[in-house]
Amino acid sequence: MALLRVEDLAVRFETRKATIHAVNGISFELEQGETLGIVGESGCGKSVSSLALLGILPKNGRVTSGSVRFGGRELLELSDAQMREVRGRDIAMIFQDPMTSLNPVLPIRVQIAEALRKHLRMNDDQAREEAVRLLQRVGIPAARERVDDYPHQFSGGMRQRVMIAMAISCRPKVLIADEPTTALDVTIQAQILEVLRQLVAEERMALVLITHDLGVVAGLCERTHVMYAGRFIETGTTSDLFARPRHPYTLGLLKSVPRLDAARKERLEPIQGVPRDLRSLGEGCAFAPRCLYATDRSWEETPPLRDVAPGHRVACWNPVPDADLPDRGAPEGEAG
Amino acid sequence: MSVAEAEAAELSLEDQSGLWRDAFERLRRNPGAIAGALIIVAFAAVAVFAPALAPHGPNQQVGRLAAVPPGPSAEFPLGLDQQGRDVLSRIIFGARLSLLVGVVSAGVGLTIGMVLGSVAGYFGRWVDTAVMRTMDLMLAVPQFLLALAIVTALGPGLVQIMVAVGIANVPQFARLLRGSILAQREADYVLAARSLGAPGRRLLLAHILPNSIAPVIVQGTLAMATAIIDVAGLSFLGLGPADPRLTEWGKMVAENAGRLESAPHLVLFPGFAIVISVLGLNLIGDGLREALDPKLKS
Repeated sequence: MALLRVEDLAVRFETRKATIHAVNGISFELEQGETLGIVGESGCGKSVSSLALLGILPKNGRVTSGSVRFGGRELLELSDAQMREVRGRDIAMIFQDPMTSLNPVLPIRVQIAEALRKHLRMNDDQAREEAVRLLQRVGIPAARERVDDYPHQFSGGMRQRVMIAMAISCRPKVLIADEPTTALDVTIQAQILEVLRQLVAEERMALVLITHDLGVVAGLCERTHVMYAGRFIETGTTSDLFARPRHPYTLGLLKSVPRLDAARKERLEPIQGVPRDLRSLGEGCAFAPRCLYATDRSWEETPPLRDVAPGHRVACWNPVPDADLPDRGAPEGEAG
Repeated sequence: MSVAEAEAAELSLEDQSGLWRDAFERLRRNPGAIAGALIIVAFAAVAVFAPALAPHGPNQQVGRLAAVPPGPSAEFPLGLDQQGRDVLSRIIFGARLSLLVGVVSAGVGLTIGMVLGSVAGYFGRWVDTAVMRTMDLMLAVPQFLLALAIVTALGPGLVQIMVAVGIANVPQFARLLRGSILAQREADYVLAARSLGAPGRRLLLAHILPNSIAPVIVQGTLAMATAIIDVAGLSFLGLGPADPRLTEWGKMVAENAGRLESAPHLVLFPGFAIVISVLGLNLIGDGLREALDPKLKS
């Protein structure tokens, strides 16, 4: 049985002017030790989905339907207090911006101890020892000396390591990393991804890697879900998606990323148009206004996810034909 | 890992200091704050060591009763009052009461204001509305008038005055802290702490409050200054401590206001004492404001 099973999860935000349909029925499964990628552009509902899993949506956000089953329990039905027991212990999260996600007035020791004290009932001394061990684990040099330092005494990459140490402190079974490398520069990105990769391998943690960076998924994820306007529009193994993208949006994403092995004069092709306004989603494919392959049906009926190959599903009425695929294999992991 | 090591080496060269120490460093480089701190330290020292410093007792008659008391002289540097008491000694003992008044009034305002402000800011919704509309109501009345009304209701007396001035200070603190908490409540680190299972109480007390408190501390020092002035003012209006033996700067000014022309030292010297102590508190407050300003944090 899957460790985490999300079915038809939908999240809405009520604002004074309108209802934002942030997430519109996503489903996925996660096995122990698996690394799953969720890719999409800003505002497509990636982060909101993960906040919804943990039950920490902003006040005006609400899960309107769906189910999140973890280890046989329905998380969406848990009380606040029960949910607090799940957070940090079973499912933990790493946030995008390490510069703002650490409390500036507390030494990092206290912040790492947060979950240890709550979930594992450690006392100060135990928590301190464990914090040192965790910092060593994520590759912070001189961990014992630095455990009492404040966040502003660390660089961005080091802070993200501290964030990871916080998230893995209670050995959660599922780790959600929401754009863990976006705020970091490229050399540091690779280091952070390496830390994550090791953790997943050694602790048998399941990792949900949320990113807009195709290079990151290529290096780390076995399976990838492409998200657009709050829906998964294509899912499959990462190599399938890179080699044979069937959804025009996935193809567009791939074409808009530069490649090292490209012919010199190959131009990048941006996706035309702007992301969908999530206030006014009606029937029809949300990508249709920007799509070269849109048919009449695309405008009238929302396409469901359908199998196009074993393990490869696409939500499109007119999937990209083989002839239009660029000549490219799955890229080398840029993250390694 | 070599990059990480290089980073660590570079960082260890920097001063290993905490947030509050950084603020202290900035405070130390601010001449105004230094001056303010010196004044306040002197003020506190005078208050604490009053019996040792004062040449005479505050109510000790050292000269003759006189309708027009003598001004400053070599023997009595600040002159005598009409009961023949040494003005310098009275001012020195008065520092005790002023310090007490400043600390207690600001403390009362700070405590109640912080509780109301954090409750309003953290829980939001109707709690926020109820608390903040009450505060608005209090703010609609000038602060001094409000203190005057409260002390009138409570009756004259030292404790009543301090409580009244304290309560009149509550809305400022509540408002300030609420705004500050609202800004911090949605901060990323609060979300991160929530994602680890921290309960609401801990979020508020350990994460949000310490990050919201800087402006309140600044306001606290400024409130001490206004509290001293307000209490002096209330004393001036005759609502001060009823016990004639208690020496209070505002009361000294009030009692002798009519003699400003014949014996100006009776009014001017306690007046100076008020001005200087308030100035010191304001200088420190401004220095703190700059030192704790989040925009200056690197």
